[in-house]
Amino acid sequence: MSETKSNNDHHDDDHGISHTASVKVLLGTGGALMVLTVITVLATKIDLGGNINLALAMAIAAVKATLVVLFFMHLKYDKVFHSVLLVGGILAAALFVGFALMDSAQYQETIQWDTNRPLAAPIGPRPVVK
Amino acid sequence: MSQSDKDKHDDHGGHGHGHANQSRFIQHHYDDAQHQFDSGKLGIWLFLVQEVLFFSALFVAYILYRHHRPEIYSYAHHYLDVKMGAINTAVLIFSSLTAAWAVRCAQLGQRKGLILTLSITIVCAVAFLVIKYQEYSHKIHEGILFGEKFDPCVSSGGGPLVTKRNLCEGIKSSVVFDRGATYSVATQPTGCLDAAKIDHSPLQPGIQATCKVAEVKFTRDAKGNKTDGAARDIERCEEGYVGGHGAHGEAKGKGPKFPCWTFSANPNICPTGPAVLVHYGDEAVHAGVEIRPTCDAPGPVVNKEVDAATTLAMGKGGTTHEMPKTKHELQHEFSMGPPPPHTNMFFSIYFAMTGLHGIHVLVGILVFLWLLFRAVRGDFTPDYFGPIDYAALYWHIVDLIWIFLFPLLYLIH
Repeated sequence: MSETKSNNDHHDDDHGISHTASVKVLLGTGGALMVLTVITVLATKIDLGGNINLALAMAIAAVKATLVVLFFMHLKYDKVFHSVLLVGGILAAALFVGFALMDSAQYQETIQWDTNRPLAAPIGPRPVVK
Repeated sequence: MSQSDKDKHDDHGGHGHGHANQSRFIQHHYDDAQHQFDSGKLGIWLFLVQEVLFFSALFVAYILYRHHRPEIYSYAHHYLDVKMGAINTAVLIFSSLTAAWAVRCAQLGQRKGLILTLSITIVCAVAFLVIKYQEYSHKIHEGILFGEKFDPCVSSGGGPLVTKRNLCEGIKSSVVFDRGATYSVATQPTGCLDAAKIDHSPLQPGIQATCKVAEVKFTRDAKGNKTDGAARDIERCEEGYVGGHGAHGEAKGKGPKFPCWTFSANPNICPTGPAVLVHYGDEAVHAGVEIRPTCDAPGPVVNKEVDAATTLAMGKGGTTHEMPKTKHELQHEFSMGPPPPHTNMFFSIYFAMTGLHGIHVLVGILVFLWLLFRAVRGDFTPDYFGPIDYAALYWHIVDLIWIFLFPLLYLIH
């Protein structure tokens, strides 16, 4: 990313202070986001198994988020340090989620969801009726 | 704008021109417009990272709960309207586009374009909140709320529910024993059987059930408290509804607190002929329906996960639902039954996430209104457009969070 210092020479649209997104890029990003929204809604209607459906929906959301960050938020043309900040924040959030998930199963025996009822099935799907 | 055009060219050379040809909003403690812009941009990026971490706490709650209680999510998401969520997603993406365009207009000194794009962004943001308001008010009306306030009038499949606190007005549900009439749930959604529709043709042993119809009516007393009226019989039917254990009138603090949807039929009310006994969902058998061949002799009990319509069909035509069901049918039937325990947690998380996001949208509207005012006043020039850029960046993060919230809350398979 050499445009951190020499923004002026980077692009015809540049006017000194910051990168200016072209109309083509703006409309292209907006259009792609709309199309991906339609795809993600339609993908839910196809049964691929719960986890694959979830993974697909999250993958589409990640692509959409990347488009927004790179083009709407100008991060592609922006200072690298801003990308470092954002990625750092996301990594911190990932640590947060990851450690919480790792830890959460440790105390299941001690959790009583309903004080009026003995613990029947603390984790997992509800019991199958026979 | 000619002032700022000159500015733009002079910018390259250096900054020895003093403040005469600069935007009057460039503060004296910055070297130049670039310095001020970069400082602000660093600030807004730090704020956005903080926003990511802020929301991540709610995502942790969502992920942990979904990990441990997946059945709650697959039940509860039926309460959400995908169409509303999808429209809101599109509205927000479009507003993000216009916000990004507003930055471009400000950078190029296009004042009219800036005013237009800011206005569209505000209109879209308001439209988002209006749709959200409609969703929220529907949920408030139906009792689909967080924590203890979760007391829905209908199941996630749309079927009526008798709930513990009966905050829903009117006739909530009934247990219907059909004797082969042309009765259908679709035409009589409240379970109020029209006397004229009862089929008086002779009973066919083994197929038709004795006619038993009861409805449970809930009304408000003078103080506005909900009271449940006695089960009312129609035609020659006897009382078919027994409160069951824990349905209502239960002493506070005793027994299962939540949820408590119980239908229970009294076996003694079917003195003649084969009948169908419906035991609809106690807390151990969430969506289970017991079907017995006769009332007098309970006989082998068949447990089925069926909805109200299926129950009626069984009363009419015996065991016609023995065909193996597809995954979708089973899922649908499950969604018709009463909620699994702790479904209220989904809505605690739903309202926390969408509520916090909604507050962000509200703040965004206020910020953009202020920027619109300044744009009309002509504050923004190609060397001073920072506030537009910062607000747009904030708006994109709000959009970004919704991009994840929409599939996580509305599009659960």
